[in-house]
Amino acid sequence: MFEFSLHVATIAALYGLLALSLNLQTGFAGLVNFGQIALFGCGTYGAALAFNNQFGPVVGLLLGLVLVSLVALFFARLGRSLGSDYWGIATLAIGQILLTIATNETWLTGGAQGISGLPQLFTGSTRLQGHLILFSVTLALLAATWWLFHRLTQSKFGLSLRLMREEPQFAASLGYDLDGLRRSAMLVAAVPAALSGFLFAHYMTFVGPDQLFSTETFVVWTMVVIGGLGSHAGVVVGAILTQMLFAAVPFAKDFFALPSEYVAAMRLTLIGGGLLGFLLLRPQGLIPEKVGSIRG
Amino acid sequence: MVEIALSAQKLRKAFGAHIVLDDVDIDIARGSIVGLLGPNGSGKSTLLNVLTGFIAMDAGQVALGDQAIGALPASEIARRGLLRTFQLPRMPTRMSVREVLLAAERSDAGIFAALVGRSLRASARTDELLEQLLLSRVADQPASAISGGQKKLLSIAAALANGPDILCLDEPTAGVHPNLRGGIVTLLKQANAQGVTLLIVEHDMAFVRNLCQRCVVLDRGELIADCPPAELADHPRVVEAYLGRAAARRVATSPEKPPVKVPAEVRV
Repeated sequence: MFEFSLHVATIAALYGLLALSLNLQTGFAGLVNFGQIALFGCGTYGAALAFNNQFGPVVGLLLGLVLVSLVALFFARLGRSLGSDYWGIATLAIGQILLTIATNETWLTGGAQGISGLPQLFTGSTRLQGHLILFSVTLALLAATWWLFHRLTQSKFGLSLRLMREEPQFAASLGYDLDGLRRSAMLVAAVPAALSGFLFAHYMTFVGPDQLFSTETFVVWTMVVIGGLGSHAGVVVGAILTQMLFAAVPFAKDFFALPSEYVAAMRLTLIGGGLLGFLLLRPQGLIPEKVGSIRG
Repeated sequence: MVEIALSAQKLRKAFGAHIVLDDVDIDIARGSIVGLLGPNGSGKSTLLNVLTGFIAMDAGQVALGDQAIGALPASEIARRGLLRTFQLPRMPTRMSVREVLLAAERSDAGIFAALVGRSLRASARTDELLEQLLLSRVADQPASAISGGQKKLLSIAAALANGPDILCLDEPTAGVHPNLRGGIVTLLKQANAQGVTLLIVEHDMAFVRNLCQRCVVLDRGELIADCPPAELADHPRVVEAYLGRAAARRVATSPEKPPVKVPAEVRV
């Protein structure tokens, strides 16, 4: 049971990084990213490609960061000419294109079979100890990202992102370079997403295209919407709650004696239902963004 | 010699077949307060939009001092010191009035400043502006929740907090309670005394007379007059633009009020 709880906590922390990343883009900068999972995929495939070519995890990490920077800059570049809703659709399309590449370029990515056998990053005296260290590292990374994003969003940079989010024309009239702001926000937000993917790849020891399905993007969206767009604490709480619910699904299945195919369906229902329910009944989320917290 | 802060030559803008600006020339002297007048649909707002880069012109040149700015994006023009406010200012829902003003002071707005700690400092100027425009009471309210008139005040305050060299205001008093208009006049006079050049689109003639040293008048995209505000009422083309030809004839033939000659080239 402890090992299971540790697994749920580790996955929740990894999703927490993804939620913080999406929240900086969407909650603060107004960049409605439906291709969030592509940023995560840069981290997983960075690790996997390095491993497949006999390089160590450090190279994998660097490769993931390079890939994610390129994808983030590409996303930001798209935003120059598209309205925010069209931009969202374009990011979804790019996520799907990257998924198609990962599925079909077998020579590079292992295709649908993916790449397996990645080493655990931390090997303690037991497997459990290794997992404990990984969990601690993930938790530290989550805390550092939270602190960094809090600092960024409480600064004038954060104010400029929020002004761009709501009144881009007003922001431009005050001299804010919206392209530059989009670029900075995407780059900063992309890093924890890729780190999450990198850690996930070495934790699961397997990287495959099914980890990049767009439903995963909407899992992260659900966490952000439940927690509260524009609230760092909120989206981390959203990530933890959603993971706890997911973890409870198999137990519920046993309790109600449901067939096992219900598990996947129930998870999807939870995501869709949670997203819809919160959007309709509590769009500000569990911990709403604070208006007026910056007093100068 | 008068230093020209902002000049535009042969500005042309058409929306389809409809010509909105027809070879407009305008020079604004540094430190002056110029009123931009004209009936509805005469092209005033389009002129502001073209000067500040929010609409691309079809032909012509715009220069800030001696630098051509006609091809620059709006944000770059603003960074070079030419700012504008909007006729119908829209304010963010999830930012307070004070946060909007803080964001308007663009210094230290980069990521680097945020990380190394040169982040937000209490700004005496922000409080002063809030006080002066009677916005202190609503400083912590969401900026979208204040009244239309207050939004207008906030947009002017935001533009001034940004530290412009030239500020173009699109109907600054429209929708503002008469009691507050005096506050705007004082604020703009102060800014002007500190060296800010002002170009003001306005319909309220009392406000224009109180503030502007010079008025330029547009009608159907054409510049028809350039004179001190006191001479506007006797200007036949201005009278014609606002009241029709018959009224203009009466002004032109009135023996005690000779018509004012329209200068061929507009310069102060």
